[in-house]
Amino acid sequence: MSKTQINEINRNIYDIKNKDEYEFKIKKGLTKEIIEEISKQKDDPEWMKEFRLNALEVYNKLELPTWGPDISELDMNEIATYVRPKTKLNNSWEDVPEDIKQTFDKLGIPEAEKKSLAGVGAQYDSEVVYHSMKEDLIKQGVIYTDMETAVREYPELVKQYFMKCVPVYDHKFVALHGAVWSGGSFVYVPKGVKVEVPLQSYFRLNSPESGQFEHTLIIVEEGASLHFIEGCSAPKYNKVNLHAGCVELYVKDNAYLRYSTIENWSKNMLNLNTKKAIVGKNAKMDWVTGSFGSKISMLYPMSILNGEGAKTEYTGISFAGKGQNLDNGFKVIHNNKNTSSVVNAKSISKNGGKCTYRSLVRINETATNSKSSVSCESLMLDDISISDTIPVNDIRTDEVEFSHEAKIGKISDKAIFYLMSRGLSEEDAKAMIVRGFAYPISKELPVEYAVEMNNLINLELEGVIG
Amino acid sequence: MSNLKLNETPVRTSKNFNINNIKLENVNIPKNIKEFHNTNILTQSSKVKIDENTSKCKLTYGLGEILTNQVNEQANKNLKIVIDNKIDEEINVEFLFDNNNLELTDNIEIIANENSKATIILKYTSNNNIEAFHNGIIRLNAKSGADLNIILVNLLNEKSNNFIAIQNALEDNSKVNYTIIDFGGKNSITNYYSNLIGNYSENSLNTIYLGRENQLFDLNYIGELRGEKTKINIEVQGALKDNAKKHFKGTIDFKKGCKNAQGNENEACMLMSDTAKSLALPMLLCSEENVEGNHSTSTGKVGEKELFYIMSRGFNVKEAMKLLVRAKFNKILENIKNEELKNNILYEIDNRLE
Repeated sequence: MSKTQINEINRNIYDIKNKDEYEFKIKKGLTKEIIEEISKQKDDPEWMKEFRLNALEVYNKLELPTWGPDISELDMNEIATYVRPKTKLNNSWEDVPEDIKQTFDKLGIPEAEKKSLAGVGAQYDSEVVYHSMKEDLIKQGVIYTDMETAVREYPELVKQYFMKCVPVYDHKFVALHGAVWSGGSFVYVPKGVKVEVPLQSYFRLNSPESGQFEHTLIIVEEGASLHFIEGCSAPKYNKVNLHAGCVELYVKDNAYLRYSTIENWSKNMLNLNTKKAIVGKNAKMDWVTGSFGSKISMLYPMSILNGEGAKTEYTGISFAGKGQNLDNGFKVIHNNKNTSSVVNAKSISKNGGKCTYRSLVRINETATNSKSSVSCESLMLDDISISDTIPVNDIRTDEVEFSHEAKIGKISDKAIFYLMSRGLSEEDAKAMIVRGFAYPISKELPVEYAVEMNNLINLELEGVIG
Repeated sequence: MSNLKLNETPVRTSKNFNINNIKLENVNIPKNIKEFHNTNILTQSSKVKIDENTSKCKLTYGLGEILTNQVNEQANKNLKIVIDNKIDEEINVEFLFDNNNLELTDNIEIIANENSKATIILKYTSNNNIEAFHNGIIRLNAKSGADLNIILVNLLNEKSNNFIAIQNALEDNSKVNYTIIDFGGKNSITNYYSNLIGNYSENSLNTIYLGRENQLFDLNYIGELRGEKTKINIEVQGALKDNAKKHFKGTIDFKKGCKNAQGNENEACMLMSDTAKSLALPMLLCSEENVEGNHSTSTGKVGEKELFYIMSRGFNVKEAMKLLVRAKFNKILENIKNEELKNNILYEIDNRLE
């Protein structure tokens, strides 16, 4: 009997380790003194220091989740929550230290910047080391900078929006983030400005036994539009690393935001990230997510449709290989009339990997005449892997159209037979089916990432039909 | 009066989604169960053995320790039904709650021996204006080649509490069709668990529920497929009016080794008021590669076009609504061959939609 073998992701590029060099690394653990020291090192204003200390208190009060993957191996006493690289923020790649620059070169960031991006931010461990944006966007009033600069230079804007969309009491790892956050991007797109070419931030964690807690805050004002791309990776170490970032997105009336993520953390990473968007009247929020890395991932981006006629779409794929437990999904809350949501989630599990699709669709009493359609498909590539679908649908008004469907299965013999009857070899038929399975997601990705994703899902066949 | 946490799902999800279990406040769980005399058992067949020698209930899931223990320690009705042959006539068991029979904790054990065949109807009804309490466990063991058709009808009033835990074990080539008519109870809480151990075993579960006023339905249906080429099909159709609320938790779990198994789950909820609420968690869990699993759920109001069409034929809104609900339920009602029972259910649909 033949078997379709899908290679695990080739991690050669991502696993390049630089020497663990830094200017400052906080001692491991999570205490009031450590938070005060981080705040001092970052030269926080007083309000931010207070914010951090309050978040720590909330963290100490909240329980770990009683559901989802087992994260008991996470010991905060073994994690250094702040590592400042041996460089300041630069706006020229020439000024970035050679080893760090080489890492981003290999990841293709400067090249992508030249070809297809309007701005780039690059974070190494806890701080952003490079940031730039095209001149014409600056002239239009677009702000794209690291979060620390935003706290310093746009304090009123930051105070107005920072951790208001994702409050610290949402869950334990959001509280942790609030206490130790560092780095990340701040984007402000003024009313009516359409940013035609994407902005991209790339997050690289190099230091072992450490965490990355970047904060991304994006405000797209009325009638404006933006495509923001987020990439992340890290080399593999023997002990766990932690990523507990936070993404807050404000999509104002009639605005549009597309948030694309290619997550390729190493397989010792616990990815406990939180992402949420508040969507205004007739605005649209699109999420595109490719989740390939991490040992454990618990990631459920969320759209809150507050404005009448607000829309959201989630398109995501997860690929779990050996030793990976990817618990991903999407949450949407419909709060106003005529809102709509469309979810298209796919997963592939192989070699003992586990994929879980976990979701919530809530249509509140106030969201009359709303629509929601959810589709999730899971492909199992062997009998040692696991694939679960755990969706919650909470409908609180009758004036709705809601549908949800899910499928789990293997590659269909009928489909292979059909393609082979059209002249394809069995290998090509299977390759086409798997690429076709991932196509609805890959077509939504920027072209460089779509090519990368197709390379990641590299097909190889063995044996013959028996 | 107790606060109860019941009917845990096999896998937990976020606490904030409020669906991992059901919390009931101020439910009267009687401490000392009184006698229950209003049980009618009708069977014309000498091929069925009925006695009271039931075994102790050991449930894989169940509704919760308190309710399971109550049946084990205080059952006021034990019923063991053993089927050895193919029986054409239905076996009818009816429980009627009235002022003198307010509490029932029944322990029902059904054993369908090899290649046997039977239809069993279990019907629970109540007089109006009483507050009945029902806590029952129904266990079914379908031996190799057995073919069982179970129809469970809950027509209690809306002041009563109805708790039922069902557990099925299906051996090779056995077939169990369960039809559940779930209309009654202020709280109607059901745990249904089927363990498809035997190769080629098949389980079909068809439910209709109809809620009005402040009724709450919590349906936790779990199918575990273990044998090769096993099949489970869960079909749930419901309608909710007024402030009625339904939680549907459906799990199809493909266990390792259930090669070529199939599992399908479809849940559709018709909301007939803007204060009715539907919460659903249709889970698919899969540890086996060579399987086919599908689930779908849909929620929405009564179709305006359909309503308009029926009304244009001279029916008023209420009548048109009734027709639409009947039409939705009809496919499942077709499983009931007993015309008298079917008419009784149709009457209840009309009556409860008034």
